[in-house]
Amino acid sequence: MSTPTATTRTSPATSSLASSTRFRTFVITFAIVGPVIYMICLQMNWPLFTYHPATNRFALGWEAARSGEGPNMTWYGWTAMTLIVGTVVSFLATLLPESMSKRIPLILVWLLPILAIPYLIYDLRQWWFHP
Amino acid sequence: MDIISVNTFWTIWLLVHLILAVSLLGALTHQAVSVVMPVRQVAGPAGFVTRFRAVPAAGYATAVCVLWVLTFIVGSYIYTKYRIYIRIPIEQAGYWKTQGFFDFKEHVASIGLTLLPAYWFFWKNAQKPEYDTARKIVTVYLAVACWFLFIVGHVLNNVRGFGS
Repeated sequence: MSTPTATTRTSPATSSLASSTRFRTFVITFAIVGPVIYMICLQMNWPLFTYHPATNRFALGWEAARSGEGPNMTWYGWTAMTLIVGTVVSFLATLLPESMSKRIPLILVWLLPILAIPYLIYDLRQWWFHP
Repeated sequence: MDIISVNTFWTIWLLVHLILAVSLLGALTHQAVSVVMPVRQVAGPAGFVTRFRAVPAAGYATAVCVLWVLTFIVGSYIYTKYRIYIRIPIEQAGYWKTQGFFDFKEHVASIGLTLLPAYWFFWKNAQKPEYDTARKIVTVYLAVACWFLFIVGHVLNNVRGFGS
């Protein structure tokens, strides 16, 4: 008896999305610019909006927590900003000629998310070294 | 009239988040092991590890994307209560590193979200060798990220779960 051999390969993509050159450019650009935009939003504190959970209130951009109204939350705003700006930039990338879009290095798709980890550890240093 | 208490309501959502996360963890772990240690050919009876990695990995891609997004959405929903009823007491108790790990978790979850379209595309084009390296590394990255998110969430719930 033997275990069926499973490979990671499949038959050629039949989905129109999976075989689309423009979609390829979009997803690769999105994966590259997504972590970068998120890091920038984090570094500059540029949330699209701020949410105040205790009062269920949204404010455009960054807004400090108000006295007596509980904490503010910016993570939703950073994520929303990343998704929207990433989508716009990736869409613009699909307008490039194929000869240019094919030059986008695939290595950045995995290198940038890996490099984001030490940056995040550094960015959160206030928690690691809190007295 | 309330059918269930507020605590029960949020605990149910936390459990939904947990169940989705466990499903995602299982799918991503199978897939990551299958790309790191692919089964080529087995002579004789296969052991547990061989059977674990002998999965049709490409078939997991869409499910992984859907599960990541659903887990993310439910996690984002319960985060509103976490911010007030759990994070504040954790800070008051001086568990700074625990708090740091939660912030780390939220960042990793968002970065993982941005990788999903490329991850799906690479798996749908798994027959193309040009995407092999990117597909393998992105899959392993998401699997490690998922384990990290899961463990941090689990520890945080142990530190101060809903209703405590």
